[in-house]
Amino acid sequence: MALLEVHDIGISFGGLRAVDDFQISIEKGQLYGLIGPNGAGKTTVFNILTGVYTPDKGTILLDGQNITGKNTMEINRAGIARTFQNIRLFHLLSVLDNVKIGLHNQMQYSTLTGVLRLPRYYQVEKEMNERAMELLHVFELDDVADYQATNLPYGKQRKLEIARAMATNPKLLLLDEPAAGMNPNETKELMETIHFVREKFDMTILLIEHDMKLVSGICEQLTVLNFGQILCQGKTADVLHDPEVIKAYLGE
Amino acid sequence: MAKVSLKRLQKGKTGEKGSRDKFITLLLVVAVYGIVQLLVKTGHVSSLIQGLLVPMCVYSLVAIGLNLCVGFLGELSLGHAGFMCVGAFTGAFVSKVLRDSIGNDLVLFLVALLAGVAMAALFGFLIAIPVLRLKGDYLAIVTLAFGEIIKNIINVLYIAKDSNGYHAAFSDAKSMQLDEESTVWLINGAKGINRIANLSNFTIGIVLILLALIIVYNLVDSRSGRAIMAIRDNRIAAESVGLPITQYKLMTFTLSAAIAGAGGVLYAHNLSTVTATPTNFGYNMSILILVFVVLGGIGSLRGSMIAAVLLTLLPEVLRGMKDYRMLIYSIVLIAMMLFNWAPKSIAFRKQLAAKWKKQKTQEEA
Ligand SMILES: Nc1ncnc2c1ncn2[C@@H]1O[C@H](COP(=O)(O)OP(=O)(O)OP(=O)(O)O)[C@@H](O)[C@H]1O
Ligand SMILES: [Mg+2]
Repeated sequence: MALLEVHDIGISFGGLRAVDDFQISIEKGQLYGLIGPNGAGKTTVFNILTGVYTPDKGTILLDGQNITGKNTMEINRAGIARTFQNIRLFHLLSVLDNVKIGLHNQMQYSTLTGVLRLPRYYQVEKEMNERAMELLHVFELDDVADYQATNLPYGKQRKLEIARAMATNPKLLLLDEPAAGMNPNETKELMETIHFVREKFDMTILLIEHDMKLVSGICEQLTVLNFGQILCQGKTADVLHDPEVIKAYLGE
Repeated sequence: MAKVSLKRLQKGKTGEKGSRDKFITLLLVVAVYGIVQLLVKTGHVSSLIQGLLVPMCVYSLVAIGLNLCVGFLGELSLGHAGFMCVGAFTGAFVSKVLRDSIGNDLVLFLVALLAGVAMAALFGFLIAIPVLRLKGDYLAIVTLAFGEIIKNIINVLYIAKDSNGYHAAFSDAKSMQLDEESTVWLINGAKGINRIANLSNFTIGIVLILLALIIVYNLVDSRSGRAIMAIRDNRIAAESVGLPITQYKLMTFTLSAAIAGAGGVLYAHNLSTVTATPTNFGYNMSILILVFVVLGGIGSLRGSMIAAVLLTLLPEVLRGMKDYRMLIYSIVLIAMMLFNWAPKSIAFRKQLAAKWKKQKTQEEA
């Protein structure tokens, strides 16, 4: 059984069928690419997978568990974490706090423990700080841990979003155009980081990307969306040589 | 819900992030207390100002409560005078009923405080349940309406005790058919509650402020506080990392209302009679408290308190200058606004702070 099994999900906005008959099967440990032109419905797929939208049909199974119709919080707790196409950080909080918020459900103590500053508060906070710093180290953000998130340069903000998502200890990581707005150098570095994360944490990743070349470099499987429909699905090499795909992309 | 634009307001503001900064605020409160006590003892404080000491504590408390809601939760409330009102009447009612059975003033006040705080918290919770689940400007509107409704309800609420026991009526006092001889009014409609025990004093006010500060500071700098601020900064991202949004919003709003309720209890026991009028518990008061919070700096408890104190003192100090009073008051408002929020002034203060820091490190070296 694959880690993520999606059967025939779909959703409409008004008269627009934004996604239809979408299916995907992602094995544990895979780095999977979701590509397609502007407005194809890629982000909408992410929003359905994470419970922002409820699909009007189809089912989503994560690790055998049916998560269709659950809300965003429950789905994160079930094991899906994501980043956003337009960065959504806790911008007034520090870089460290952003990651610690990701750890919220991993390391717990009650509100009262916090207000009364019971010993458990100090103990858990210390563990949280250590764990968060470890994660920040992976993303080379440990030296800016006390910066306000909003003051980070763009590339680092994107990395911080991934670090925060990783802090929730997900089974599946969804990255929505992580390289958007980055220069070629930053992009290359980011792709290396993603690759590294996958190796180090044995993470399963579904990645949205605009740029064909970029995904073909690191993803072993691809799904191509066009006007809400799956145009082509399979091994990267096969997809790239598919005449339909070539047509859709050259026709742009 | 009404998101206060923190991005704009907090730019360049440090708020009170560091634990040292928070400690300084606490120290400041204690220092002010000490100095004021000294001045009072040596007879340097006019009776006019002495009469303002408790009200200043009251407004500081309510402003701290509101700042938790506006600054940390990021939700606008225009009904905190309503929670203050609930606290005031509940507290005064309880202390009046129990006055004969509890001899010790402090104990009596504590019981009244607990009751007032609990009732304000309950109201905060009940208001928040339907409203916080929705999106949009509902909270601001509903809290505004709540404050007005509470005030009006209390104006038509009658509770009295006579030889036959307790009686209560809504809008029609005659229906209680009281035995006039032995009647003791507990709440007499628009006349409110009279003959309240004078249990509040400056010391109790300061202790309550310190307590509220410690609770809010500790909350903000904890797992739950981070969650609250995460929800404020980006609700969608907060959901995506598995935070229970509704739960934290309810909790924070309830606590915020409870602190305002404590302010109300303190307020009531400083008066012999408490009535619910537009000036003390109407939306004017809610907005005045919001002014304290915004002027003092959203998210800065110290700022809220300073604004509350200054703006309470000012009209009284200026009383002699009749015609110019409101003019000066407005000028001070504008000046404070500029000092706190103008980009140039923020830059200037930053520069000063940096300079000061540098000097200090040089001295230390
Ligand atoms: N909440 C919504 N309400 C109405 N229409 C929507 C909504 N969300 C998405 N759409 C529409 O659905 C279609 C797919 O949008 P989506 O954001 O999923 O595209 P995308 O593949 O992520 O595009 P891009 O590469 O530009 O990010 C678009 O036509 C978009 O306008
Ligand atoms: Mg998109």
